[in-house]
Amino acid sequence: MILEPIPPRILSVRRIPNADPAVLAAYGADPTRHRSLGLITVDQDDPTYVALDEATKHAPVDVVFARSFYAGAAHGSGPISGEILGVLAASDPDEIDEGLAALIRCLEHDACFYGADESKKTPVFPHVIASLGHYLSAQAGVAPGTSMAYLVAPPMEGAIALDAALKAADVRAAKIFPPPTETNFTAAWLVGSLVDCQAAAEAYCETVVRVAANPRER
Amino acid sequence: MSHTRTLVEALRKRLGGAAPLPPPAPTPRIPEPPVRVFPRRNEKTAYAKEAATHTTALLGIGHVGTRYATDVVLQFQAELAVAHGAVAHELAPDFAARNALLPLESRVADHRQFLLRPDLGRRLSDESVHRLRAGATKSPDVQPILADGLSAVACEGSGMALLHAFTRACERRGLTVGTPVCARYARVWLEDEIGEIVGAKVAAILLGERPGLGTGDGLSAYLVYEPKLGKTDGDRNMMSNIHARGTPPEVAGDRLAVLAKAMVDQRTSGVSLDLSGLVAELGEAASRAPRAPQERVRLVEVDR
Amino acid sequence: MRLRATIRNVGYEFGSLREVFAKANPPKSGDQLAGIAARDPVERVAARAVLANVTLEQIRNNPVIPYEVDELTRLFEHSLDEAAYSAVKHLTVGQFREWLLDSKTDGHRIRSVSPGLTPEMAAAVCKLMTNLDLMTAGAKCLVVVRANNTLGLPGRLSSRVQPNHPTDDVAGILLSTREGLSYGCGDAVIGVNPATDTAESTAEILTAIDAVLKKNGCPTQHCVLSHVTVQMRALSELRCPMDLMFQSLSGSEAGNKAFGISVGLIDEAADMMKRLGSTRGPNRMYFETGQGSALSSAAHHGADQVTLEARCYGFARRYDPFLVNTVVGFIGPEYLEDGPQITRAGLEDHFMGKLLGIPMGCDACFTYHARMSQDELEGLKVLLGAAGCTYLMSLPVGDDLMLNYPSTSFHDIPSVRRLLGKRPAPEFDAWLNELGILDGDQPGERFGDPRVIRP
Repeated sequence: MILEPIPPRILSVRRIPNADPAVLAAYGADPTRHRSLGLITVDQDDPTYVALDEATKHAPVDVVFARSFYAGAAHGSGPISGEILGVLAASDPDEIDEGLAALIRCLEHDACFYGADESKKTPVFPHVIASLGHYLSAQAGVAPGTSMAYLVAPPMEGAIALDAALKAADVRAAKIFPPPTETNFTAAWLVGSLVDCQAAAEAYCETVVRVAANPRER
Repeated sequence: MSHTRTLVEALRKRLGGAAPLPPPAPTPRIPEPPVRVFPRRNEKTAYAKEAATHTTALLGIGHVGTRYATDVVLQFQAELAVAHGAVAHELAPDFAARNALLPLESRVADHRQFLLRPDLGRRLSDESVHRLRAGATKSPDVQPILADGLSAVACEGSGMALLHAFTRACERRGLTVGTPVCARYARVWLEDEIGEIVGAKVAAILLGERPGLGTGDGLSAYLVYEPKLGKTDGDRNMMSNIHARGTPPEVAGDRLAVLAKAMVDQRTSGVSLDLSGLVAELGEAASRAPRAPQERVRLVEVDR
Repeated sequence: MRLRATIRNVGYEFGSLREVFAKANPPKSGDQLAGIAARDPVERVAARAVLANVTLEQIRNNPVIPYEVDELTRLFEHSLDEAAYSAVKHLTVGQFREWLLDSKTDGHRIRSVSPGLTPEMAAAVCKLMTNLDLMTAGAKCLVVVRANNTLGLPGRLSSRVQPNHPTDDVAGILLSTREGLSYGCGDAVIGVNPATDTAESTAEILTAIDAVLKKNGCPTQHCVLSHVTVQMRALSELRCPMDLMFQSLSGSEAGNKAFGISVGLIDEAADMMKRLGSTRGPNRMYFETGQGSALSSAAHHGADQVTLEARCYGFARRYDPFLVNTVVGFIGPEYLEDGPQITRAGLEDHFMGKLLGIPMGCDACFTYHARMSQDELEGLKVLLGAAGCTYLMSLPVGDDLMLNYPSTSFHDIPSVRRLLGKRPAPEFDAWLNELGILDGDQPGERFGDPRVIRP
């Protein structure tokens, strides 16, 4: 079966209810507004960026730190390092709890990679976000509430598929991440109406499947 | 709930018919594994060869992963089938008569009852009590009892040889031996009632033991001083594994007579019997007698 | 105490707690032989319903064999830990079952309660449990013991190598031992049932095994399972090496008399091992038990075989033993008739032993005149492994040449370990890895090659 979900594994979730100001500052929080932190590591980075953004829509939290680790989850520094560390900051622990709950819900039920081939060796992330929160919207330089197709694939598949996606719908590239990224994938953030984002994501995904099955166009 | 999931679901349905993946590679022919057989006389590892001179345990048989080779499994199952066959076999009703033994029976009615009701196998039927009272010599030093126990195959096989060897060895040591009897559906403790009725100093029951793999022919012997109902296992001395590949009947008969003599001399048996002075005599009979190199019989042969 | 229950308008009244105990047992041919089993399945459930509402305090006050006639009953009464007992005495047997199965109840909590339980309490709760209940609760119990190595740690499954020989041929015994070690077996003990029950033969076998273990630096224990008086003579007079001292136990004073032992004698034996035994300890004794042994010497006092078996464990725990195992199917079909009865008994015995705080192992076996198949026996080994059983036996193809019965094989132990993700005792595990017999949790390059153990 192709396009089977590859569910992300949440490797750790911890809170610091009353963080030291030095720690707050080091991880990008503002000690005058933030007191509590929520930290999570996951073995897939892109679903986590989406889920962090989702958290900002459900709770008064800020995403203060989110970085992918070099070469991905298979090369983590420890058994719970995974591929990404994300940090939420808020003024009190209850807000952190609320934010983490939304984040985890999104990882468990929505955002995930899919296997573009039977063996799941070619992951593709053709994710549509109907309405951006204030984290990804700021990163992409667009207004909160905009629709986005968040697209990720390995370098070759991703390049061909991005071209196909841009031609298939009325969308524009807010940001393109050519390879190599930290995890050696390539990604693109396309914005437009929700319907156009869906059409772009579908074209992207289909192209990744076809390239994976036929790498030398024979 | 998720726009992405709906989108991917539809796409998957659409692409499913298009068989986007190349057909699977053909499975290569699985090579035949190396032959691993139950070791025959002339194709053993050095370890198995050495083991065969000391034990019939299946050693040096190797492994497939952590399991047995097919040939070993078949040998094992064949031996199991032989053992089950030995349990199911019943002592021929005319066995006692043919061998000029006084025939006795326990209170057991049939074979299944024999397996489930040891209490009935420990007591004589009323008819046998009368026959024993009428037909057996009173007050011998030793009352020998041959019995089926859990392997009639063993009783029919080397039972008479053991009985004769034991009788001769007792007589050589100056002990009087009672009328030889043969008991059917008998348990060990039946010797208590038999010995008590004839007034023997020592009762000795020689009976088929629980069959093992490929050894449905082993006999055990249990001796008790002053036999009477109510004696326990702690009051008895026993010897097991009496068969050609264990302790042969001739050697065992001798050793059992040594035990019987010790019981008569010390007027006791079981845990309170002191055998420390007899180690040499028992030891010689038990373990230092020369034995032929042991060989486990290969049971499965397939005609190709 | 009123012992009465009603099922579909039929009243069931029981005369004594001992009768309730017997009738609450699942079907066993041994209880039928003793004439004390429930007459039908409904009466059995009625007995269980009554038992579920009896408190542990009532059980302490009504032992199945009276205090006056049995030294084991007196031993249990006098050695009970009153503080631990008072923590649970108010619970009914039904409530106690639920407490044991509760997720919040872990091995450490059970261990703290265990010295306050009489064997009858362990037997009672056992009767209310299904096989999976017995496994679930048994797997929680944590009993760790140490002699030359450490047994009973979580995630470990140990085994006894049982290199029995029909004529005690020492060379044959050593060949089987080396082969067993090469399959990763033997971390519990190298334990020989001798064909000849003399001190000289005991000392000869122990000395030979000791030499092989020392030469190869193998961290395990040895034992020759002759009568305890014979071993005491071998130890005190012949001064042979002896890591563990063995004896079969029964659940009543009269049953032990039939074995030629008493509490006083075993006290003496344990004390001698403390002075002369060859391990650093502190656990130095090895006991075997098995349902039906008391009845087989008419020493059961009308009590059922599960309860009598629990009383063996109550006796055993006085000595903080290194090993205790039930020889579950060895006694024959008159006590455990077939596969389901033997399987049930193995799980019962393991659970009761662990609950009472002893490092319970099991000789999963049957005799050739019982109705059990090889496949059923293999199933029991996996169930026991999953239930956290401390150790199983191991023999060449599982076949005991001396005692003539099928048990666990050298090949079964690594198979069950790999299926369940278990490892040998840690010291032994390291030794196996050093020799190349294991490579982590995989068979190593020298797996199954007895030449790796020097003769």
